[in-house]
Amino acid sequence: MQQLIAFFKRFRVFLVFISLQVAAISTYVQYLSFPQSQYLTSASYFGGKSFALRYGIMKHFELENTNEKLQLENVALRKKTINNLYQINRHLFKVSDTTYAQQYDFISCFITNSNTGKLNNYFTIDGGELQGIKRGMGVFSQKGVVGVIHNTSEHYSVVKSVLTQNINIDVLILPINLYGFLKWDGKDPRRCSITGITNDVKIKKGSKVVTKGGSGVFPKGLLVGYVEKLRPVEGKPLWDVVVRFSEDYRRLDRVYVIKNLFIEEQHDLEKKIPNNAKEPSL
Amino acid sequence: MNIIIVGFFRFILFVFLQIFIFNQIELGFGIHLLMCPLYVFLLPFEINLFVSMALAFGMGAIVDVFSNTYGLHASSLLLMAYLRPIIFKFFSPREEYDPLKTPTYYDMGHLWFFSAFGALLLIHNSWFFILEAFSFTSFLYTLQKIILSFLIIYLFSLLIQVFFFRRSKK
Repeated sequence: MQQLIAFFKRFRVFLVFISLQVAAISTYVQYLSFPQSQYLTSASYFGGKSFALRYGIMKHFELENTNEKLQLENVALRKKTINNLYQINRHLFKVSDTTYAQQYDFISCFITNSNTGKLNNYFTIDGGELQGIKRGMGVFSQKGVVGVIHNTSEHYSVVKSVLTQNINIDVLILPINLYGFLKWDGKDPRRCSITGITNDVKIKKGSKVVTKGGSGVFPKGLLVGYVEKLRPVEGKPLWDVVVRFSEDYRRLDRVYVIKNLFIEEQHDLEKKIPNNAKEPSL
Repeated sequence: MNIIIVGFFRFILFVFLQIFIFNQIELGFGIHLLMCPLYVFLLPFEINLFVSMALAFGMGAIVDVFSNTYGLHASSLLLMAYLRPIIFKFFSPREEYDPLKTPTYYDMGHLWFFSAFGALLLIHNSWFFILEAFSFTSFLYTLQKIILSFLIIYLFSLLIQVFFFRRSKK
């Protein structure tokens, strides 16, 4: 017993060091393998509040830029209102619209804290559960996709941006409707790549890359960027398609959160697929 | 008593600066401005190792909460605090350390500061960036991050001392 106490006395510094180190590294590894941990993030009350305070000061430096962007967007939207359209076919009247129903609703938010230089970048926005934001909703800005809501608190939420390593948004390369996954390599905040494209297809430089919209997180056709160049993957018949983002994430300020009004219907339907289902026999 | 108050304010100041200023400066090339190592290094010579480890771990944990890194800063700062006395012993001057002096560039001379702080910062950066990447696949890029960040942080540490620290009275 005395030897045990002597042992602890002798190595107490090392033991404290090891136990604290294990605590720190285990939270980090746990987060890496299960990135759904809900505590200790900047969506917490105190973190969110202090970043909102900082944003309150910093937003004034960006006002001119933001106004310009909003004005451009207003012009684009105004062009689409009925009053400004010339009615070509005068025999048709729009009485009540039953062919279209609103599927996506948008919530406007400000970014209060963001990084782009890390390996995994998260943005904090000033909308939370009170605005109806939930985990898994998509986020986009005027110029392109931004990311997916990672976790939420009452007033704030953390967005897992496209500048994280395992974001995997499904995208389409437009004129040829080619389907692939968006990946980020953790280096350049202006570019990303698309994996899973075989090298027998020809892709023109500058072709549009948009979201596929299959999972119900993003609507179909949301701009992501433009193809910049193609790189062959060593030893595999695949292209590594380098895409230049249409949005500059380093200067991002205002974003919209996408609320899919039919998402529960879609999930309910998809839940009914049995786990080991065979193909339906025809 | 005085030294505790100064230490407390310095703690708050470093956390504040790291979260709201240094984390927001993005220089590209994978450079991170991690200034917390300077705080851990500038703790007094005679400080209890438990206290310095607790301070380093606490500071790292607070910075982690605010930058969504989940234990990365805490782990690397804790390692630095643990190795600090060992490195100090290794680079100790011929006579023992004068407890009235502080481990700054002014008090101990540039050569000592470069070797002791440089060694600790290199260990801290290597631990931080290798743990962040969590693989050796893009090791060259990790190495670039470690070395470029090292240079910039070292430069900033010198600048902070030139502007805000004075030679301690004897």
